Amino acid sequence: MGLVLLFNAFNGLIQGAFYALMALGLALILGLNNTINFAQGAFMALAAYFAFTIVPYVGFWGALIIAPLLAGAIGLVVEVALVRRLYSRKDPIYSLLLTFGLAFIIQDLIRTIWGAQGVPLAIPGFLDHPLSNTYFFLTGYRLFVVAVALIGTAALFAVLRFTRIGIRIRAGNSDLETISALGVNIYLLRSANFVIGIIFAGVAGILAAGQLGLNPNMGDTLIMPAFVAIVVGGVGSLVGSLLGGLIIGLASGITTAFFPAASEVVIYVIMGIMLVVRPRGLMGQEGLFE
Amino acid sequence: MSAVLQVEGLQTYYGKSHILNGVSLVVGAGELVALLGRNGAGKTTTMRSIMGLTPPREGSVRLFGNDATGKPPYRIAGMGVGYVPEGRKIFGHLTVHENLLVPPQTKGPWTIEAVYQLFPRLAERRASKGGRLSGGEQEMLAIARALLLNPKLLILDEPSQGLAPVIVQEVMRTVGRMKGEGMSILLVEQNAVLALQLADRAYVLSEGEVVYDGNAAALASDTARMESLAGVTQV
Repeated sequence: MGLVLLFNAFNGLIQGAFYALMALGLALILGLNNTINFAQGAFMALAAYFAFTIVPYVGFWGALIIAPLLAGAIGLVVEVALVRRLYSRKDPIYSLLLTFGLAFIIQDLIRTIWGAQGVPLAIPGFLDHPLSNTYFFLTGYRLFVVAVALIGTAALFAVLRFTRIGIRIRAGNSDLETISALGVNIYLLRSANFVIGIIFAGVAGILAAGQLGLNPNMGDTLIMPAFVAIVVGGVGSLVGSLLGGLIIGLASGITTAFFPAASEVVIYVIMGIMLVVRPRGLMGQEGLFE
Repeated sequence: MSAVLQVEGLQTYYGKSHILNGVSLVVGAGELVALLGRNGAGKTTTMRSIMGLTPPREGSVRLFGNDATGKPPYRIAGMGVGYVPEGRKIFGHLTVHENLLVPPQTKGPWTIEAVYQLFPRLAERRASKGGRLSGGEQEMLAIARALLLNPKLLILDEPSQGLAPVIVQEVMRTVGRMKGEGMSILLVEQNAVLALQLADRAYVLSEGEVVYDGNAAALASDTARMESLAGVTQV
């Protein structure tokens, strides 16, 4: 039983790492771009397919870096051409409808270009083996997923903490008007922030594709839990989104060990309990939902 | 005297409410101009219209001889305008030092080290969160932040608001020093007596219109006018 529990908890942790990467990107875009980006899952799939296409030329490692940047470039075009036009509307429903539509458009484009059937993404051979016979689920790739999620998250927090652009993103999250009056080009800043958010989705997409393969709808299973992670962690807090992702992933994994049928519903139960007991989430701002 | 700031016929609305009804004013090079008026007279809206934060529906704003009407705030700041907003608008969850890293680095004497020398208190508290500062320290930080743009025009919106008299004196000394260094200044104040001690000229706003435009000293010595126009009794 102990081993089964460990196995499922570890699976949950991996899942949580995907949720956290998605949630971080979503939370960034929600904060500064004031946009609930429903297309985040579609961008994630797009990056994974880009990786699929370029792996033969640049290898897995090259693709892991280049494909998210390509998705980020598409994200930049989308932000400048479409999302930006809705910033002046106070009601978030406009941008939500836009990104909801975009998600369908991107998914259909993927279907048109790469086909509706799932395809595998080749990962480096040395990552493919279990590290021990007893702990068969500890494959190199899974540890690699956790490592990349940790490095990506640490890099994001370092940028937000130590660079001018990161400091401005944090300042702009609370008061966009004032950073603009202090001479910060908020159009550029919001574009950069949107692209960073998409890059996070892209990295998550490639990591997920290495484990589960690709299909045009691969983002769908991650986008709702990512939103749940934000609510559980607290809207407005990136650390909260990270913790929220890990917690619901872990909870889902552990539930699988005891009651597999409830493994998916448990994250919504956690969100429900959180909204009743502590509506602002683990680390959210006071008063946001209270 | 060439005009640093020339505002003509501003008509500004918040939604449907008409706030400014044809405000015109001028700030000349090296001048300190006070903008006075009761609460709700339109002083802050005038500042916001100049900065592009609440663009006017009609009228024009010219800065240093160039048209600035309808430009986004960061462009206007980039033209050489330092803005100290009403309520200071410190980024409360950022440290003092991080607050100072928000404005872009510009050429000129005002570097982060220089503003730390101007306000040693800020240097002592550089690692404190902005939200933990006292009102006076927040005001210094807001002024320091604006100075980092090395502005030719400094716009201060109610810098004395909510501060202890000793601190107000210190803030006003700083404003006076900036004037001494040749900066042009537009100072919005509820506290008319205080503002007129420093100002060369003054405008008084009432219900979105300029109702006095003239010499600061003359306005200060005209007790009846002070009471009726600015709503100031004794301070």
